[in-house]
Amino acid sequence: MNRSLERQRNILDFTLASLLRRKGKNLSLLAIYIFIVFIIASVTFFTTALKREALLLLSEAPEMVVQRLSAGRHDLISHDYAEGIAAIRGVTAVTPRLWGYYFDPTTGANYTLLVPPAGTAVPGVVTVGAGVARNLGLAADDLLPLRSYRGESLLYTVEAVLSSESELIATDLVLMAAGDFQQLFNMPPGFAVDLAVSVANPRELATVAGKIVERYPDTRPILKSEILRTYDAIFDWRGGMMIVLLMAAVFSFLVFAWDKAAGLSAEERREIGILKSIGWETGDVLLLKFWEGCAVSLSAFCLGVLFAFVHVFVFSAPIFAPALKGWAVIYPAFRLTPEVSPLQLAILFFLTVVPYTVATIVPSWRAATIDPDAAMRQ
Amino acid sequence: MILHPAVLALLIASVLISAMVLFASFHASHILKHWDRESGSELQLQLERNTYLISTLLAYALLFQLLSLALLVYVADTLHVQIAGAMCAVGTFNANSLGYPALALKIGNFLFAGLWLILNFADARGYDYPLIRAKYSLLLVLALPIYLESLLVWRFFFGLKGDVITSCCGSLFSTGQGTVSSELAGLPPLPTAGAFYLGAFLTLALWLWFLRGRGRGYALAIVAGLTFLAGVAATISYFAPTFYELPHHHCPFCLLQAEYHHLGYLLYATLFGGAVAGMGCGVLAPFHGIPSLSATLPWLQRRLALLCLLCYGLFTLIVTLRVLTSDFRLFS
Amino acid sequence: MIHLSAVTKSYNTGKSNEFTAVGDVSLSIARERVTVLKGPSGSGKTTLLSLIGCMSRPTSGRIRLSGVRPSWLPTGEGETELDVTSLPERFLTDIRRHAFGFIFQQFNLVRGVSVLENVMLPALPSGERRLEITARALALLERFGLAGKRESRVELLSGGEAQRVAIARALINDPLVLIADEPTAHLDSRLSRQFMELVESFRAEGKTVVIASHDPIVYAAGLVDDLVEMRDGRLAPAEAEPA
Repeated sequence: MNRSLERQRNILDFTLASLLRRKGKNLSLLAIYIFIVFIIASVTFFTTALKREALLLLSEAPEMVVQRLSAGRHDLISHDYAEGIAAIRGVTAVTPRLWGYYFDPTTGANYTLLVPPAGTAVPGVVTVGAGVARNLGLAADDLLPLRSYRGESLLYTVEAVLSSESELIATDLVLMAAGDFQQLFNMPPGFAVDLAVSVANPRELATVAGKIVERYPDTRPILKSEILRTYDAIFDWRGGMMIVLLMAAVFSFLVFAWDKAAGLSAEERREIGILKSIGWETGDVLLLKFWEGCAVSLSAFCLGVLFAFVHVFVFSAPIFAPALKGWAVIYPAFRLTPEVSPLQLAILFFLTVVPYTVATIVPSWRAATIDPDAAMRQ
Repeated sequence: MILHPAVLALLIASVLISAMVLFASFHASHILKHWDRESGSELQLQLERNTYLISTLLAYALLFQLLSLALLVYVADTLHVQIAGAMCAVGTFNANSLGYPALALKIGNFLFAGLWLILNFADARGYDYPLIRAKYSLLLVLALPIYLESLLVWRFFFGLKGDVITSCCGSLFSTGQGTVSSELAGLPPLPTAGAFYLGAFLTLALWLWFLRGRGRGYALAIVAGLTFLAGVAATISYFAPTFYELPHHHCPFCLLQAEYHHLGYLLYATLFGGAVAGMGCGVLAPFHGIPSLSATLPWLQRRLALLCLLCYGLFTLIVTLRVLTSDFRLFS
Repeated sequence: MIHLSAVTKSYNTGKSNEFTAVGDVSLSIARERVTVLKGPSGSGKTTLLSLIGCMSRPTSGRIRLSGVRPSWLPTGEGETELDVTSLPERFLTDIRRHAFGFIFQQFNLVRGVSVLENVMLPALPSGERRLEITARALALLERFGLAGKRESRVELLSGGEAQRVAIARALINDPLVLIADEPTAHLDSRLSRQFMELVESFRAEGKTVVIASHDPIVYAAGLVDDLVEMRDGRLAPAEAEPA
């Protein structure tokens, strides 16, 4: 046992020394290897981080939202529906919600307008998110001008700016009273954008949703779990698509690695010949090649992951953001929460190190089976 | 199909493993056909070089097999979010009829590959290639379930449909929910746990018996194999609920999660390690009469038997400690 | 010590360019003597040397060793002689590593590596502790007057120094047999004679020495016990069964 450990150590020492001796030669391979790990790591880190941000946004969302469809499109829903749904067994509360988007042509920004529940907002007064305040240079007691549906300018007094702690979720928020909202968008009273439904027992959500559709066939209940599932699937799908596209790059890297491993230089061939002739066995050279592969893969993997980490979590993934963000989801300036899971590393390992290792098995074996007497006949 | 990066990783891994095994079995059949140890012909020299290639391929295949087994479970656990009604990995595997067969084959193939490498290790220590025919014939047999496993893994993932809100209708859930069973029905807990303890005890007894030079290791191997099965069954029916302190949560996969300090990895590593070592003891048993192995085999078998005992011992220790220290009683 | 019976080594069998490097050679190398294989280049000396040194396997014929007992051989079998003809590579290498030391025509030192490391190389896979190997290597360097050069890179050595490093490397595993292929090809006459003096000291220590050479300084030296003459891959007729 001890002897085989010592053998491993002796050969590992020699391998590392040889690699350092030839570092110039392995540099191109290492650079491409690092780049491949970096790209794939960036994709997985970025999609996972986006997914997490989306989930974070949803954490405050109601368990179930009921929308009304008209001609297959989302339409306003009457408060009558709310009363009917509240009567269904198991439903604890139904809250009509008023919310929408407002495009500000002067700054080119989109704001989310929201009526807080239970009439806490005073007419003519708004509370704005930190991003909105920054954008328009607003402070408390300033006036916020918004253009109504008819094009007239309406002024609202800013009562307060939301704290920057909630920046991620509330940065583009404008909170206003129901009457102001209806006036701004020409929305009839007695209607809501959608209904938030609470159910006592979460296990009954599906049953309740079924009953709602049964009673009001023109409604569409959406469960939070479904939205989560959809986000999950969409981000995974995007990440998966990117990786499928990147597989072409991985494949060319493998061809390069194979070529590099198969095309031993005369110097290396001579060296292995010498080792074989002075008493190294095929298994010993294979072990040497194994350690060589480990050293190359380990350094490429660690450096690639490190670069990807910096790229995604420090610089917010400038390379992929346009392709992967898709819809204008997330707010301009924020940093993704750094988190790397073992699953991501395992995926990376299988997509890069495993194919690399497989591609080098046969060339390594070829190198290791050079005849020992080859060194004598030169 | 769910196009998760991890699914891609698994699909690629299964193709690579199959390709490696296919390549290795191609060379193995060549060796079986042309092997002539006495000859010094160039063909024979080449075949002997090829034995190194086959061993290397299989060693890597086993390593990747083990890692991809862990990845498969991990992925199943991640994907359950996307499958309506699935609460954890159990639900994902249950999402279509191929999940569990694929998982079971993967475990079986891992055990097989481990046994093959033990045989290979022994063969490499005989100076006249004593097991060459046995091990390469076995390799050809072993290859089939590995191809089958790849096929099942591909079909499992291609058959897996994420439940996504579509633009026309938001109420898919009512069809999905409840159809995927999210629990494993456990065997009766106490008898199963009893069977495991009996197996562990018998392993100890047979180890002592074997150490005194009795028997060739067959009995130990059979008991080790049965104890492995009993261990898995008892984990599902008794040990897992004890760890979770939830009487109806029989999931064998949640143990792997951070909430339980990833203890599952240690538990399954000991169980799998013990099974490979114990059954490996029996795989070597028929070759006792071979002179070139007469020095190696008993030594190797004793090592394996000891390893098996240590693994099962550690498993038993962990689960027993938990059963004793937990306030939770499955029957109260 | 080493017995070859009807040994043949052919290359490219069955192809149009088939050729037989060594044909039907039967030969015994005696223990603790200096044997020289003499012959023009291309006569098969090097191939025969590699067969004697367990470096390659014969296409046909048998090679047996006596006086070598590897640890993996069960006791009570082949007490006197060990047939190495069909041993798997890892066992053949094991024997070679412990029983034979090789000195090559081109010295075959690994470039870019220090003198000390070069000397240690053959012992690395044996699983000995590094400290022990280093101690032995240093002692050998001391003996050959190379202690001051231990950290030098081998490319910077003179021809004589390089050969002494190669000799030290051949001795690192304390072999029974030393095998040298054209050892004086790259040395001047003075250094060649010095080499032969070393050979004499090896014999005095109880080592068996086999040298392939067509250099008169080697084969005409007084210390040569057995002379084997080769031509076209076969033993020259007069020398068919020496000693």
